[in-house]
Amino acid sequence: MRLVLVILGLVLIFPALPLGRWQAFTLDTAQFAFIATALALSWDLLARTGQLSLAQGAFFGLGAYAAGLSAGVLGTIPALLVGAGVAAASSLLLGAATLRLQGIYFAIATLAFSEVVRTLVLKAGFTGGATGLPVAPAFGGGWALGGYYLAAAVLILSVLTSLWVGHSRLSYAQAATRQGEATARVLGVPVVRVKLVSFLLSSALAGLAGGVYAMKALFLSPYDAFGLGRAVEALVIPIFGGLYTTLGPLLGGLLLVALETWLRLEIQDGYLVIYGLILILAILFMPRGLVGLFRPRAKPAQEEPRA
Amino acid sequence: MLRLRGVSKTFGGLRAVQGVSLEVQPGEILAVIGPNGAGKSTLLNLISGLLSADSGRIEFLGQDLTHAAPEVRAWRGLGRAFQIVQPFPEMSVRENLMVGALYGTPGTSVQAARKVVERVLELSGLAGKAQHPAGELSLLEDKRLELARALATQPKLLLLDEVMAGLRPAEAQDAVRLVRSIRDSGVSVLFIEHLMPVVRALADRVVVLDYGQVIAEGRYAEVAENPKVREAYLGRGA
Repeated sequence: MRLVLVILGLVLIFPALPLGRWQAFTLDTAQFAFIATALALSWDLLARTGQLSLAQGAFFGLGAYAAGLSAGVLGTIPALLVGAGVAAASSLLLGAATLRLQGIYFAIATLAFSEVVRTLVLKAGFTGGATGLPVAPAFGGGWALGGYYLAAAVLILSVLTSLWVGHSRLSYAQAATRQGEATARVLGVPVVRVKLVSFLLSSALAGLAGGVYAMKALFLSPYDAFGLGRAVEALVIPIFGGLYTTLGPLLGGLLLVALETWLRLEIQDGYLVIYGLILILAILFMPRGLVGLFRPRAKPAQEEPRA
Repeated sequence: MLRLRGVSKTFGGLRAVQGVSLEVQPGEILAVIGPNGAGKSTLLNLISGLLSADSGRIEFLGQDLTHAAPEVRAWRGLGRAFQIVQPFPEMSVRENLMVGALYGTPGTSVQAARKVVERVLELSGLAGKAQHPAGELSLLEDKRLELARALATQPKLLLLDEVMAGLRPAEAQDAVRLVRSIRDSGVSVLFIEHLMPVVRALADRVVVLDYGQVIAEGRYAEVAENPKVREAYLGRGA
């Protein structure tokens, strides 16, 4: 908790640090890191109910396109809200149809949804199709640090939502749903409602992150906004950092994006090979993620035969 | 308070429960016994809503719950402890109980739930293990947690599925005392049990199932003398 606040404090004062000629580059990287981290935190919100979603990239893309299309008319903040709203509304549709599915079946359904959405955006006329969609910068580009603070705001909002859910009664229902759905129901947990609320929060934040991304990238293409890579990143970060926590995805997102950027600068060819190796080693040797390293818990349960 | 009328459930060709009618009175401890495969656990699943009945009617406190979801039945006051313990393994004992306390009775505030949990921890003898991960308990503690979590939902009727199985006689005696004190606090109990001493010690009334049907009903002494019951337990022609 304290570490979370320290990190958020650093995020706020980061632009004031004397970074010299590296400033523009680091602020740029930081914005992408904040967006990826916010998306990872949003994915974790649903993962806490035991549902593994591969649609986080789709909600991100829907938010990006909805915000990108409406920014010119509505202005920055309302357009971002539209993006979050479109993503949340589509999660209700998807959720009503699929949240009764479990495990791998839900994951496949969300993957199919992502493909459908990407194809629709690719074929629809008003989205610019395969040519892409130019997007106006945040606040008309008039405020140099506007994009930075927008990304920081989405990150902070995601962190606060994650903390709030983690300390609310919903956290008990989520964990119970994840660890034993039938038992949870017999205890009175309305598991479908719990999953739907988690899905709604998760997709709204993903849509918001997508909108901020659109205004930072200034150009959207279906291949980029809806790429499977984004959905994978959204789940790799929490796994690397520590699932079902706030600190885990926060720390994991900032570190992984920094690591990836650094590797790309150092090793032009094949930096992803090294990045992938590091991830594999991390998952092998840190089964509970970064957070597990400094929050050791009692050793895992010995499997005893039960009567 | 609980009334079943002609409740049936078929799995494929197997008629697991056939036309079962029974009633639990307020303040009563009712035992459901029967040989293995008689349909006892299926019956509990039908009452708690994990299975839905093919036909018949289930009423609780005057309301028709035949097709209600498990969580709705929990909210109305049905609590259930499983035969095969189902702790939420990544939570502590206290957190396990919090799930039941928070969600078992609609409108329970977090503060009220905490109070319920502390009371149940004391009652069930788990106070010393409150912070312990639920995935790492002994069998006895597992059984206590299973019962305690059902109690934390503040049920009006508690459904117990062989909660004594695997316990040593002294431990079973403790559990018998615990179930009695639960009843004395105003909770009715419907339990399934294989251990006849436990049934004799606890049950006000006994219902005997065989091949999914009620073959006898009454006080323990009456039922134990019933020839049909003896036949069911000892085998045909014994």
